[in-house]
Amino acid sequence: MNEVIHAQTRRDFIRKLAIGAGGLALVGNFGVVFRLHGATGNMLRGIVVDFTKCTGCRTCETVCSAFNYPVEVDGEMLNGLGNPWLSNIKVHWYNPDVDIPMVCSLCEDAPCIEACPVEPDEVTGLKAMYRDPLTQTIRNNPDTCIGCRRCARACSRQRTGVIQMDANRRPFGMCSLCNGDPKCVKYCSFDALKYVELHDDTEFRKMSPDAVARILIERFYDIRI
Amino acid sequence: MSANGYYGILLDVNLTTREVSRFQVPEKDLKMFVGGRGLGMKILWDRLKEPGIDPLAPENPLMIMPGPFLGLPIPSASRTTVICKSPRTSPISSPFEKASGISYASMGGFIGPEIRFAGYDGIIIQGKADTPVYLYINNDQVEIRDASQFWGMDTDEFDRKFIEHLGNRRFRSCYIGTAGERLNPMACIINTAARAAGRGGTGCVMGSKNLKAIAVRGTGQPNVANHKYFLELLEKARAAFAEDTESRRNWRYGGTANSITSASDRGVQAVKNFSEGTFEYAHKIGAKAAREQIWQRDFSCFCCKLACKKSGVAKGAYGGLVHDGPEYETGTMLGANLLIDDINGLNKAIFIADDYGMDIISVGNAIGFLMEAYEKELITKEFLNGIDLTWGNVDATIEMIHLMGKMEGIGKEASQGVKHLSKLIGQESHKFAIHVKGHEVAAWNIHARPEWFGISYATCNRGACHMHGGSPSAQNQLALRDSIGACNFASSWFRNELAFHNFMSAITGIEWTAESFEQAGERIINMERLFNHREGFSRADDWIPDRFFEDAPTHGPSEGILVERVAFSKMLDDYYTQRGWDPDTASPLPEKMAELGLDFART
Repeated sequence: MNEVIHAQTRRDFIRKLAIGAGGLALVGNFGVVFRLHGATGNMLRGIVVDFTKCTGCRTCETVCSAFNYPVEVDGEMLNGLGNPWLSNIKVHWYNPDVDIPMVCSLCEDAPCIEACPVEPDEVTGLKAMYRDPLTQTIRNNPDTCIGCRRCARACSRQRTGVIQMDANRRPFGMCSLCNGDPKCVKYCSFDALKYVELHDDTEFRKMSPDAVARILIERFYDIRI
Repeated sequence: MSANGYYGILLDVNLTTREVSRFQVPEKDLKMFVGGRGLGMKILWDRLKEPGIDPLAPENPLMIMPGPFLGLPIPSASRTTVICKSPRTSPISSPFEKASGISYASMGGFIGPEIRFAGYDGIIIQGKADTPVYLYINNDQVEIRDASQFWGMDTDEFDRKFIEHLGNRRFRSCYIGTAGERLNPMACIINTAARAAGRGGTGCVMGSKNLKAIAVRGTGQPNVANHKYFLELLEKARAAFAEDTESRRNWRYGGTANSITSASDRGVQAVKNFSEGTFEYAHKIGAKAAREQIWQRDFSCFCCKLACKKSGVAKGAYGGLVHDGPEYETGTMLGANLLIDDINGLNKAIFIADDYGMDIISVGNAIGFLMEAYEKELITKEFLNGIDLTWGNVDATIEMIHLMGKMEGIGKEASQGVKHLSKLIGQESHKFAIHVKGHEVAAWNIHARPEWFGISYATCNRGACHMHGGSPSAQNQLALRDSIGACNFASSWFRNELAFHNFMSAITGIEWTAESFEQAGERIINMERLFNHREGFSRADDWIPDRFFEDAPTHGPSEGILVERVAFSKMLDDYYTQRGWDPDTASPLPEKMAELGLDFART
């Protein structure tokens, strides 16, 4: 049931992307230069955080989880209640007071995929960790995944550390972009999250929460930790 | 997993035997006492079967009780109440030497939701560990662990080091500073280095159990009975909060500190040990000054849209990190009440008191009392261990806070509260010892509003309390908010269809109405009152200090205003009548007990 719903909404997402691409081409005709990213050459869009606006309320965690883990109630698929542990965006807290929402950077070079030891599928060419060619999101194929957690380790050592292992030893925490309408962005009460084009020089992108916290604590409080 | 919004399970910890069990809450108690503060009061009654038990004895249950709203993403519903028998209050006369009343204190933040994510509706801690310990809760894995390496650490340092020790930032914790370790009666329980279950000596009780901290992490979530209806209400509540209203902007701008100037302007602020209602320099320590000079960041509790907690940096000689402050209470009690107008010095004082883990309302009140006694030459500088405790003196105030935190010299006396100090000093000083039942009055002055704050302070079962409300109905509502876990500051958004009782219906599947909801609040207030009555509290204990009848403010809007004793007594008569209480004993009448299902508490 979950999968059916996901597939339907995913088609919507892909349709929106197609419309977006049309828009892109149109604007491109007016001479605007776009930087293209990603393995497939599509423009890479993702979520960035304005840390000067985040208040650490964790509403993002609950709406992410509610959307990405729907439940069946009386035969109807509804949003979950929003268990923060399941969320793909997670807020890390620090003292001195800084809260750091961490979300998948959709890295162009994706160390998580690089680290995946599973042989690419003969037909699709995809490892167990792979980049969805249309949405650009990082995904896991639980059927071919061997639960070695190398993806999670690579992410936490080299990047944001958002990938964690679930009870079935499968990675989770990679941003789904909520099929094109990220709920964390939509529901942020403080306008701290944006769904935008990602660049290599996007501030704080691909950094660990500890590294971001160090910078922000010095910036906000003039304290070095 | 219970289908009705509760787990029905409390973690039941005995630190003496080091046993951990799971207490199954009778379903009837969930329905009657809701959760949070209410359920805590019922368990307090059940577990302390005799009056007169020493609040610092191992039997006293210390309960950390999130309500049924917690762990769900309802906006601004993160409040967790700590309940125990109070080390702060005592009746005027009682057959029991260690008589004291109920205590509760509410804190925001993230610890309450996390307790529910871990699979519990609350935690009960009884007994006393023979060495310092902390309680480790990781879902089903519950351990009593050695805390000796942390004993002697104050809250800011502990907050930073404990999470490193736990090695996982998903853990949330609450803890005591060294004040609690030293059994300072004013000790509170702190989380995130600044949020406090501040009042009523909860940290003292925690310290008496040799319990430094509680760490909790959970990966689950409570269920709700009517999922679809709950989501509808949730969506509407989010939409209501998303509106850019003046109220929301104000909370964001100044938090409770907005009231530092507005209460002064209205003549209802605690100024100069409650002798005045207006502070000439309130603007120097208010929200605007803090916004311009101190605050860098706004913080929210779990899923809150208001972000009333403010952090920043103080400058100059008193420079340093500010976790939170000034708020209205901390800014007034250590500011206006002491005639301190230096916002940097004020924040330093707040930080130090938070660091020891002390109730700043009581600390500021006690220092104000000593400043007045010193000015009136009832006490000498020697009595104050050489501190020149004059009005507005930041350095002297900071020295006093250190002595109180360390329980040394005059600080040890001051930590027992102003009731104790006035007995020690004598010379009619009780007339300006601003407490009710031994619990210090908070930052809202009484002269100009006896019908609200006078009643709130006088009748509250934990001793003087500004959050109790000035009418039975308001008190019932506020008791319920503490029981479900909703924040009082956000309650104005929960109106009409979004009323709290509708959320309760969706969560529990029981049809709650405005009437049944308020009646549950009434039941909780009555339960508390019955506990206090059994300890020996009576009508004479529901009274405010002489100052409000005798010393009129000399300037500002409340200039010349006094409360009249007969009139105030009449207000109390009316209050008891409305409550269905005996006006002579100030205790529930048998008919009221029967109506509320409290017959079991008949003594």
